Amino acid sequence: MAAIGPGGLRITAVDAAARALGLHPGEPLARARARIGPGIAVHPADPEADATALARLCLWARRYTPMVAPFGPGEGTDGFFLDVEGASHLFGGEEALMADLAARLSANAIPARLALADTPACAFALARHGGSTSPVLVPRGGNAPALRDLCVSALRIEPAIAESLRRLGLRRIGALAEAARPPLARRFGESLLLRLDQALGRRPEPLVSLGEPAAFGASRGFLDPIGHQAIIVATAMRLMQEIAPRLAASGLGARSLRLSLHRVDGIERSLDLGLSEPTLCPTQVGRLLDLRLDRLGAALDAGFGFETVRLDVTGIGRLEARQGALAETGLDREAETGGTARLADALRQRIGARVIRVSPRASHIPERADALEPWRVRRIERRWPERVGPRPQGGMPSRPLVLLSRSEAADEVFSLAPDGPPQRFRWRRRLHRIAHAEGPERIADAWWHAPAPTRDYYVVEDETGRRLWLYREGFHTAQTAARWFVQGLFA
Amino acid sequence: MRDDGETETGGLERRRRIALDALRGHGAGQADPLSVEALPLGIAHIDSSLPGGGLSLGRPHEIAPESEGDEAAALGFTLALMARHLARVEGEALLVIGKGHPTPYGHGLAGLGLDPGRLLILEVETDADAYRAVEEALRSQGLRAVAGLVDAGLPLKQSRRLHLAGEAARRLLLVLRPPQADSPNMAATRWRIGSGAALRDRFGCIERPCWQARLDRCRNGRTGNWLLEWDHAAHRFGLAGAVAADAPQARSGCAG
Repeated sequence: MAAIGPGGLRITAVDAAARALGLHPGEPLARARARIGPGIAVHPADPEADATALARLCLWARRYTPMVAPFGPGEGTDGFFLDVEGASHLFGGEEALMADLAARLSANAIPARLALADTPACAFALARHGGSTSPVLVPRGGNAPALRDLCVSALRIEPAIAESLRRLGLRRIGALAEAARPPLARRFGESLLLRLDQALGRRPEPLVSLGEPAAFGASRGFLDPIGHQAIIVATAMRLMQEIAPRLAASGLGARSLRLSLHRVDGIERSLDLGLSEPTLCPTQVGRLLDLRLDRLGAALDAGFGFETVRLDVTGIGRLEARQGALAETGLDREAETGGTARLADALRQRIGARVIRVSPRASHIPERADALEPWRVRRIERRWPERVGPRPQGGMPSRPLVLLSRSEAADEVFSLAPDGPPQRFRWRRRLHRIAHAEGPERIADAWWHAPAPTRDYYVVEDETGRRLWLYREGFHTAQTAARWFVQGLFA
Repeated sequence: MRDDGETETGGLERRRRIALDALRGHGAGQADPLSVEALPLGIAHIDSSLPGGGLSLGRPHEIAPESEGDEAAALGFTLALMARHLARVEGEALLVIGKGHPTPYGHGLAGLGLDPGRLLILEVETDADAYRAVEEALRSQGLRAVAGLVDAGLPLKQSRRLHLAGEAARRLLLVLRPPQADSPNMAATRWRIGSGAALRDRFGCIERPCWQARLDRCRNGRTGNWLLEWDHAAHRFGLAGAVAADAPQARSGCAG
């Protein structure tokens, strides 16, 4: 394999046969050709495909442990760390795990060098510079002896530092570990000692794990527990500030949020915030949280305080691109729908009830023809059927302003004709004498439902001018009279 | 010379005013919501008895049914006022529904000329919550009309709070309460709405709702009693009595 490097094409990777011929990565291709002859097969290197393959291998390696960290830029791009602490027993111990890993890799023809040690740095040094044995297992606490005879460049230090150390006679890690530290720190800076300590397990080396796809959340821990409402709100705003750029980069806004408050005594309280419109604005989130905490009051029960606050985005929505104003005009979107959306959110947090709206549904059954749904900023308005126009020319029959949640039976119904409108009836303990009636409008239930009796609707107006909507269910038979129900009130 | 100069400045003033008026009129249809001071009912007779030529915006107006059983009529009048205001200005309206009040039916709202898409509805449990929501709504942007349907009337303290909250923002502010819950308060007007026989079309069918509207109390204005009809298509009130007087036949034809 060869790729363009400093001073022309250079070899980036060689196979076993080439290595036997004395070729090594980093050598200029022209020199290799001159030395070996034209018989060598050269393929252009494809770093992107390499990275993809490594990512796939990392994902595969998660069968051993959830903690998989690909090599960073300092280690090269051709390997990964597995943190098998606490996971090795599932495979029958560390030896068995390493054997299993080696067997599976070789079965897939993936050449690999494996090392297991107490620290990532030590494992890396042994795998990269530890000779030809693989896998290498370092017993617990055996870092220093295992590393003693390795070259200092195995510590992932800069080549210039490694070269200087070599000139000073510190070729082996063992020698470096025994050398006096202050002169080393003075001469080579902090990084050398950091690497040495990390390899020997004196300082921690956090691994950046290959996690789930970025979930939007942030948390903050406190040395002194917090309990004051203003501080909780301020913290939540800070956390939202951290999350907002990540959301914005994906073109998303938060539609619902969950704030988890971890109490000192291990109890977790969580608050859910919902928004009518996706947002990125920390102030808005802070304000809603403030309202919510106002409503909760003492019910939040901070106890001895919260030590960790975590904000997670539990629902996202696509954020419409909008042009940022250079100057705050105060008139921009606030005046349009933003104000209403914010009010809806604030009311939901403060009162605990959602702002709703009525929207039409496609049904000819009156009680199913509208629906209450949560209010949201909507771009497309749904049309309501037009009921304007004189009836005899085909206008739609009118509908009442109030539809009773369930029809109420009318008693003592008296009508002149068996199929005609009532002359009087009693409803809600009041006798209604009908002065005017319009109808009937016959509404039958949908045929695919269980057969329900048809309803003959009448609009009636009593002597005092009250207008009601009532219907007769089914038809009179010889034995039983059909029943009447009041279903709505007109304005 | 001096006289000439004066007349010239006067003429300039007049021309400038005309130009400004023309510019203001250029927006046509929709008036600037913040410059509107009152919602006229569109009937000269009634508007002249109201201070400012209509229901003043930003002041609480109290609406109550005349008696038990007239709740639907009072709700209809409230929503008709909101519909009339929404037809004149841009924006949305909020209806806060307290305990004991029904939620309006969508098709009925549309039939009254109020676009349900522009109506936000909030159902609350207590009057305290209802007033809190109304106050919050008065302070928010985007809403042009707020109506609270409350269970126990409009107490003095609450009316003062609404008065203060509404002063800054020119919103139509209506409070609908049950018939008995009278209490002295700071409401600008108090209406009592009773049902009235609906206006009939030429076929004798119900065409428009009618309400017996009694203006019980009116700050800096005159009280009165009218039979109002509501034209949902034009968002216009009318005096039903006047129409009936003009068309006695249509009136008599509908009675049977």
